[in-house]
Amino acid sequence: MKRWLLFILVVLLTLAFVVVPVFLIQPFRPQTARSLEVGYELRRWSPWLTIATAALSLALVVLIWRGSRRWWAKALAVVLLVPVGASAWFARQNHFEWMFKPLSNAAYAPAGEVDFVNDDDMVLAVERGGERVAYPVRLMAYHHLVADDVAGTPLLPTY
Amino acid sequence: MWETTVDGRVLHFHLAGINNQNFIMRDEETGSWWQQITGECVLGPLKGRRLKQLDHDELTFAAWKRENPQGRVLRPDPKVAAAGGYAPADWEQRMKSVPVATTLADPNAVLPARTLIVGVEAGGASKAYPVDALQKQNPIIDTIGGVPVLVLLGEDGKSVRVFDRRLDGRTLEFFRKPDSNELLDAETGSAWDFTGAATSGALAGQRLRKIYSLKDYWFDWKTYHADTGVYLLGAR
Repeated sequence: MKRWLLFILVVLLTLAFVVVPVFLIQPFRPQTARSLEVGYELRRWSPWLTIATAALSLALVVLIWRGSRRWWAKALAVVLLVPVGASAWFARQNHFEWMFKPLSNAAYAPAGEVDFVNDDDMVLAVERGGERVAYPVRLMAYHHLVADDVAGTPLLPTY
Repeated sequence: MWETTVDGRVLHFHLAGINNQNFIMRDEETGSWWQQITGECVLGPLKGRRLKQLDHDELTFAAWKRENPQGRVLRPDPKVAAAGGYAPADWEQRMKSVPVATTLADPNAVLPARTLIVGVEAGGASKAYPVDALQKQNPIIDTIGGVPVLVLLGEDGKSVRVFDRRLDGRTLEFFRKPDSNELLDAETGSAWDFTGAATSGALAGQRLRKIYSLKDYWFDWKTYHADTGVYLLGAR
């Protein structure tokens, strides 16, 4: 029974490592300096923490499996490894980039050939060493940031 | 618009979260978190550092193209475009109904939270100019932190630029000529265009210094500029 209790605690803890930062760092809820810090630390350490708790969970399942005669108890223990594994996987994902896919191979068109921007659409514009670039706001409102190099200067327009 | 070189190393950024509806970005190199609106590193090994801000314009495509016919324009990602991911043309209208998340005690104090403003920093102070005020009174002649400024709305009614009104030791006042709508300075009667250059008159060829400005929602600007002033029509 003690093994079960410990196992369930470890499963809940593993889930908390990934669920808590998602809850804290979400758009429709205000953030404080403290909640931001907790979110940052959990995002930073969760890849390692979830591996540690996953290893512990696996060891506990082996112990439960050996110590139990009931098939359904063994099955339940194994099934509970699924959320643990899912948490360890999620800790390595950037779900913000699922919602807003990054523009990794940014391509550009000469101003005279542009047919994908309306005249009254807004653009962010930069000029550097005679090189002039426009980033349409409708694209930036989705990607939010695009890495570029303008006249030899690595730049980051953000929106 | 940021320079991404910090201590001689180019940082590569990813979207990493949100802080009161202003996004957080994470650099691949150190894993630090940076605030988009300020360019400041708020958490992680580079905490306290700031990215160098570069001047940018926010203009209509037509206004930009007129000034920069040889420029280049970012293309949409075909996959995102096909999936309908990009903002529709009227997205600014739609954003008005999106709820506000903020630590401000009253986000609707002074102005409704999602009022579009032009935020300006000068002389160590900051001030917000509601876009609809600018549409009623263009240009706005004002002073921020002791710096005399000219807030100018383009002919398209959307593009905004801000300039320092001081030129060679004198401070210029501006007005529109009632019949032609030309922008003139009161001191010499020279005509000025939207790039901040005098096109005719005694000052022809002279250029005003551009001041950084950012189009933003009132609550977002106020969150990150707690001491900001607000320009209200009829307030001066």
